[in-house]
Amino acid sequence: MIKLYDYLLSGNCFKIRLILSFLNLNYEKIHIEFYPSEEHKSENFLQINPLGQLPVISDDGFILRDAQAILVYLASKYDKGGTWYPVKNTDKIGMISQWLAFGDSLTGSASAARLHDTLFYHHFNIEKCRAMAHSQFRILDEHLFFQEELGNDWICDGVTPTIADIACFPYIALSEEGGISRISYPAIRRWLDRFKRIERFVVMPGVFPAGPGP
Amino acid sequence: MVSAFQDPVILNQWHPISSLEEINPSEKTFQTLLLDEEILYKMDKENKVLVWRKGSRDENLPTKLAYGFVWVCLGNPPETLFLFPEFDEPNRKNKATGVIGVNTSAGRAIENFCDMGHFPYVHKGILGEEPHTEVKNYDVEISDEPDEVLATNCKFFQPRANVTSTKGVDADYIYRVPHINCALLYKSSIVAGKLDVIVLFVQPMREEQIRAHTAMCIFDDSSTEKDIRLFQQLIFGQDKPILENQHPKRLPLNPRMETPIRADKTAISYRRWLLNKGLKYGTVAN
Amino acid sequence: MTNVRENNLRKIICMEKNKIYALRKKWFPIASSSDLVKRHVFQAQLLGREFAVWRADDGNVNVWENRCLHRGVRLSIGINQGSELKCQYHGWRYANRTAGCTYIPAHPADAPARTICNNTYPVKEFIGMIWSGEDAIENDFSYKELSKRTVLRPVPINAPNDLVQKNLLNYYSELNFDGLLLNDGSIEINLGGKKKILFFIQPQDSKLSVVRGVLNATLSDEKRYHFLKEQNFIIERFREKMEQISENLNLEPMVAEIEEISNDLGEPPTKEDCGRKAELRLHVSERILTSRDVVSLKLKGIEGQLPTFHPGAHIDLHLQNGLIRQYSLVNGPGETDHYRIGVKLEKDGRGGSQYIHNNVKVGDLLATSAPRNNFPLRRDSLYTIFIAGGIGITPLLSMSKALHSMELDYEFHYFVQSEKDISFKETLKILGERVIIHKGLSQENTINKVRKILQKPGYYKNLYVCGPGPMLEATLKIASDLKWADDTIHFEYFKNDRKINNDSNFEIELARSALTLTVSAGKTILEILRENGVDLPSSCEQGACGTCKVNVIRGDIDHQDVYLNATERANKNIMMTCVSRSLSDRLILDI
Repeated sequence: MIKLYDYLLSGNCFKIRLILSFLNLNYEKIHIEFYPSEEHKSENFLQINPLGQLPVISDDGFILRDAQAILVYLASKYDKGGTWYPVKNTDKIGMISQWLAFGDSLTGSASAARLHDTLFYHHFNIEKCRAMAHSQFRILDEHLFFQEELGNDWICDGVTPTIADIACFPYIALSEEGGISRISYPAIRRWLDRFKRIERFVVMPGVFPAGPGP
Repeated sequence: MVSAFQDPVILNQWHPISSLEEINPSEKTFQTLLLDEEILYKMDKENKVLVWRKGSRDENLPTKLAYGFVWVCLGNPPETLFLFPEFDEPNRKNKATGVIGVNTSAGRAIENFCDMGHFPYVHKGILGEEPHTEVKNYDVEISDEPDEVLATNCKFFQPRANVTSTKGVDADYIYRVPHINCALLYKSSIVAGKLDVIVLFVQPMREEQIRAHTAMCIFDDSSTEKDIRLFQQLIFGQDKPILENQHPKRLPLNPRMETPIRADKTAISYRRWLLNKGLKYGTVAN
Repeated sequence: MTNVRENNLRKIICMEKNKIYALRKKWFPIASSSDLVKRHVFQAQLLGREFAVWRADDGNVNVWENRCLHRGVRLSIGINQGSELKCQYHGWRYANRTAGCTYIPAHPADAPARTICNNTYPVKEFIGMIWSGEDAIENDFSYKELSKRTVLRPVPINAPNDLVQKNLLNYYSELNFDGLLLNDGSIEINLGGKKKILFFIQPQDSKLSVVRGVLNATLSDEKRYHFLKEQNFIIERFREKMEQISENLNLEPMVAEIEEISNDLGEPPTKEDCGRKAELRLHVSERILTSRDVVSLKLKGIEGQLPTFHPGAHIDLHLQNGLIRQYSLVNGPGETDHYRIGVKLEKDGRGGSQYIHNNVKVGDLLATSAPRNNFPLRRDSLYTIFIAGGIGITPLLSMSKALHSMELDYEFHYFVQSEKDISFKETLKILGERVIIHKGLSQENTINKVRKILQKPGYYKNLYVCGPGPMLEATLKIASDLKWADDTIHFEYFKNDRKINNDSNFEIELARSALTLTVSAGKTILEILRENGVDLPSSCEQGACGTCKVNVIRGDIDHQDVYLNATERANKNIMMTCVSRSLSDRLILDI
C-alpha cells in the first residue's frame, strides 16, 4: 500500500495526488499539517524526511521524498501504458527531465509568492518572486504556443501528457494566489484547460474544474 | 483608495490581529499589517500582550484580549467589543482553526461567509451539491441593540449529513454580523438545543488585502483539532480564488453596482448597514 | 506652490482620461482567432477594461465585460458550456449572443422576472483576429479581410502603447526591413516580394501592450513554423528592449469605470410592469410543416439581439387580423438568434391558428411580445418527467433541451394520435433514448400508461405536463392520487375551457395605490384596472398563462382560471385578474 504524507494546500503534494489519481492507484493519506502547526518540522516527521519537506511517499516501506522524484518513481513503476514516463524513449526522458527541473524551479518563484501572500512567509522578496515567475511563465507560454503549432497538446512532444505536465501544473494553476496574473499567457491558459480535462483529474482548493471538453 | 486616517469608522474599531494560541508559547515578536501600518506584537513573560507600531517600540497600542484573540485599535478604542456569550459556556471547545491571507477586502470576505448560494459550486460535495441549489426564504434584520445584522431560519441542502446517510438533509444556519469585519455562523451541534459556532474575524491589512482568522466554539469531541483545522483550511482555500477574482475587490455599497436576488438578503442588509455607518475603507460608494 | 503642482497633475490626469476615452472609440484586436479554442473562455483586456471572450459551439464570438453582474466574479474563470457561460460562484448561466441570464440556481422555481444582462461589447472577426472596442463604432471598422494570411504569435510587452508603436518601425528598419506607419496607427513591414506584415499594437493597460502581427500569405507547414519562430524571436528581442526602456516608468493602471446598472436591478425583483404590448418586430425566416397539421415558424429579429428567453417561455403573437395568441418557444439553450414556435391548426378554434396557417408566409413581419415565462423549469430536480400531448410538446421540448445540455436526468413522454402527428422529429432524434413516443392510444390506455409513468413519485422528482385539457386533467388527477406533492407537479393549459361566470358585482381595494374600484358584472378586474390607469402585465387573458397574477391580501377569491394548482388556491392569496372574481363584497389586492 502506498502512503502519501500530504498537506492539502501544498502544490507539490497535489502533483502526487494527481499522478496517483491518473494512474488509478489506491493510497492512504497521512495529513502533515504544514500550517499553522508546522508538523513537517516536528521530530517525528524529520525522521521520515530530514529536509522537513512534503511530499513523501512510503511504498510498502520504501520511502521517497521530492515531488519530481516521486513522479518518476510512480510513473515508471505503475503506469501500465508507459506514457507518463516512457522509460525506453531516451529523447523523451531527456525532455521530461528538463521540464521536471522547470516545474521544480517554480517552488522558488510562483510557490514562494503564494506562501508569502497566503501564509505570510515574510522572508521571501515578493516582487522578486513574482518577476521570476513571470519570466518562467513567458518561456513556457512561448514553448506551448509552438508545441500547438506542431500539433502537440502537452509540454513534451507526443499525443499524451507526461509527468512534466504534472510537475508544472500546480504552481501555475495556483499562481493568482501569489498575485501572479496569467492574462499575458494565453497558451498556458489553454494548456491548463486541457490538463483539467485529462481523465480522472482531481481538484484542490484554489483550482477550479474545467467544463466538459469539446 | 482611502487612508484609514480619513475614516473614523475603521480607525476607531477593535481589530483582530492574532489568535492567542499562535503567540502563546513563545516570547517571539511577530509582525503584521493593520490598516496599511506595520505593527509588531508579542506576549511577554507575564503573559501580557504588547502591540506597537513599527519604529515606536515605546508606545504600546490599546489592546484587548477577547474570544481567544488579540484585538488592537489604532484610533480611539470603543469601550466594548460585541457580545459572544457562547465563548464562555462550559463544555465548549474554543479553538483557533487557522489564518489565511486573501487579496480582497474585509467586506467581500464577510459577505461570502454569510452566503449560502455558492455552496453547491464552490464547496461541492461538502457544504452543497448540484442540483440542490435552492436558497429557501429566510429572515434578516438589522437590529440596534445589539447593533448587528442577523439572519435566521436559514436552510441549505447538505449532501451528506453524516457518514451513514446517502440522502442529504437541510442544514439549519444562523448568521450574525456583530462587527463590521466579523461574522459568526451558528449551526446545530451534537448537544440538543445547543448550536456550534464558527467564527470569522477579518483583519484588514490593506483595503484589498486581509488576514482571515477562523475559530470554532463547538461541542464536538469526536474529531481531532487537526481534522477541524484541515476542514477550515479546505473551505477557506476553496473560497479564496473566488474572492481574489471579484471586481472590484472593495465591497460595493452603491446598490446599482451589482444585482442582488432574494437569496442575497443578508448581503443587502450588510451593505446597507455599512453604508449607514459611513464606512469608507475597503468599500466603493459610487 | 502645491496648488500649482496639484492643478498640473489634475490636468495631466484629465488629458490621460480624454486620451483613453478617444481610444475607447477605436477598434483593436484583443485576441487571435486561434486563441478561442472550443469550450474555452479567453481573458482579454483593452485600455484597462477586462473582457471574457468566448466562442459558442455555433461559432458566434462573445465579448463581455469580465464580471458577473451578480457579485463581480470574473467570467473568464467560468465555464463555456457551448451555448451558455456558467459563473463559477453561484452557477448563474448567461446565453450566447444576448448575455442574458437564463438561470439563477438559488431560485430554481422562478424564471428570472427581469432580464439581467451582462455588458457586451462590439465584436468582429477579421484577418484571424478578434476585434473589439468599448465604444467602438460599427461603421468605423476599416480593415479588409486577407484571403491569405498567417497570424504571428502575439507578444505582450510591459511597456506603454505609444512607446511600442513609435519604436517597432525603427526596430525593423535596423534589421533592414522598410515599413510604414499607417494613419490608423497600424504598422506595415515590407519583407520583400509582395510579403508584408501588418502590425497592430493592442493597448492593454497603461504599461502593457500586445504586438499582434499578420502576414499577407499562407505558408506551407514547415515554412510556417520557421517563419513564426523567426518573427517571434525578433519581436521578443524588441520586447526586451522596450521593457528595459520603460522599466522605471511608474504608471498608474488604467481605470475602467464600472457602469451602473438600471435602478430596478439594484434591488431584488418586485413586479414586471408591462401590459400586453408588442415590443418586438420579427420576420418569418422559415416555415415548415413539421407534422400533419403543425407548422413550425422560425422568427428572426430585424436588427440587434432578441431578448433572452427561459425554457417554458411563450410569446404573444399580435396577428394582422387583430387577434393575439400565445405560443411557446421551442428553442434550446444558446439558440438565441431566432425564436421557433409550433402552431397547430385548430379547425374549431377561435381563428388564430387558421390565420397563421392560411396567411403567414416566409418574409412576413410579425409583431410579438418579449418572451415571458410563467411555466418555469426547475433544474434542481434529480429526475424530471415530461408528459406532452399533441402540440403540448412545444414548451416541454425547450425544457428538455435545457436539461439535456446540463446532463440532468429526465424522461420525455410524447402522446400522439399517429405517426403523422409527430412534430419536431429532428429535435426528438437529438434527445435520443430519453424520448418515448406513445402512438394512437385510446383514452383508457393513455390513462393506464400515464399511471404507469407516474408510479413512483420521489425524492427531488418533478413532473411537467402540457397537452389538451382532458388529458391534462386526467394526468393531474393520477399524479395527485399517486401522492405527487403539489409543488412537484407543473402544468400548462393551452386555453381555459371552463365556462366563465362573470355575473358578480364587487369592489376591489388596491392596497398600495390607495384606490377603491367597482367591478360590475360583465367586466373583468383586469379591464377595470386598465380603465383606471393601473398597468398590469397580461397575455392570454383567459386564465391559462399566469401573467396577470396578483397577490390578494384579503377577501374570498372566486377562482375561474386553470393556472393555479390546488395548494395555491387553498392558500387564498393569489389570483388571475383576467377571469377570476370575488365571492365576498370586497377584495384587497396587493397593487
